[in-house]
Amino acid sequence: MRQVTIQSMLLLLLSWSAAAFSGQLLTPYKGAQPAPDFELVDVDGDKHRLSDYRGKPLIINFWATWCPPCREEMPSMNRAWHKVKDDVSMLAINVGEDEDTIFIFSADYPIDFPVLLDQSGDVIKQWPVKGLPTTFVLDREGNIHYTAVGAREWDDDALLEIVKGL
Amino acid sequence: MRCVGRNKWNALRRMERCNALRLLHPTSLFVSLCAMLISATAMAGVTQSVDEQTDLASWKMHDGNFELELTQLLPDQTRAFFLARGFSKEIANAIATACIMQTIGRNSAEQGVPGSIDVDLKQWRMLHDGAESPIKLKEQWDSEWSATEVSDAARLAFRWATFPTQQNFAHGDYGWGMSSFGLVPGERFDLKVVWSAAGVQKESWIRGIQCAEER
Repeated sequence: MRQVTIQSMLLLLLSWSAAAFSGQLLTPYKGAQPAPDFELVDVDGDKHRLSDYRGKPLIINFWATWCPPCREEMPSMNRAWHKVKDDVSMLAINVGEDEDTIFIFSADYPIDFPVLLDQSGDVIKQWPVKGLPTTFVLDREGNIHYTAVGAREWDDDALLEIVKGL
Repeated sequence: MRCVGRNKWNALRRMERCNALRLLHPTSLFVSLCAMLISATAMAGVTQSVDEQTDLASWKMHDGNFELELTQLLPDQTRAFFLARGFSKEIANAIATACIMQTIGRNSAEQGVPGSIDVDLKQWRMLHDGAESPIKLKEQWDSEWSATEVSDAARLAFRWATFPTQQNFAHGDYGWGMSSFGLVPGERFDLKVVWSAAGVQKESWIRGIQCAEER
């Protein structure tokens, strides 16, 4: 009986913790503003323009291979991509590195959604980024709705429901 | 992009599932509960710890919803990092021997608690040998290098690998990066950390921080 009570208390605590953590996922961006457009190539040399992604919510992650929290969140980003790829687009914009570096990185951290190269840093300068990783969530019309500074568990169902609703 | 390493990836996912099941065991849950309570009671002030594996020291400050952690970086670690990003030996060495600390700032507020944390490193002060001075900012480093000494790619890496001079943390946000204090390896100093919580300025001292020594 005592064990059941302890288990119930602990499960209650666990569910409370999960609820508390699932809420601290995304920060609303000031008034949903249009995201700066860009054109970048991916690691395969294909061009991607931000405006081509209108019509679906879009998650854009600025990152680098040497950034510890970027490495921490990339697996959950990839899992998220497999969960919602029919409803949500995702782009990872690498800052300052080349294809070879990313290819080596992807041996340990597979990335199945497009990785774009901002080798000159010109694109990140146009976006309100202060540190890596920073992630933006855009609605179907290309407006920034949410930001996240630092790593998140991107495959969290509560988070993905918010994104899908944009 | 299709990548190699799928078997390893699947193995990692299986491990994650097993670990999650282990965490649901009542004993594990009880231990987690105790750990959470202990960490909750240690909310105010500064704690220092030394990593058993690396033997590097960390100083962690927790005041209200703001958490700040500084961890020693060995000069060799920093040197190797910047050499790999295209810096010359001389400049990589100058950075590496300027007391670089891995720095993590976090807004630990729970959901629904209003107010963000604003940090401006220009307001921080260090006390060394009885004299107070500002810390060395990334902008200062950048202005010391001529265009021929440091490439654009290396500058870009330096810019993003260092802690932002100004940063705003909403709840759940955290930022990281290297910060530099301009002292030689092994020196000690006190650091006055200044931040704003919901627009109210606060400050706190972290005493006895030591720059990592060469090994």
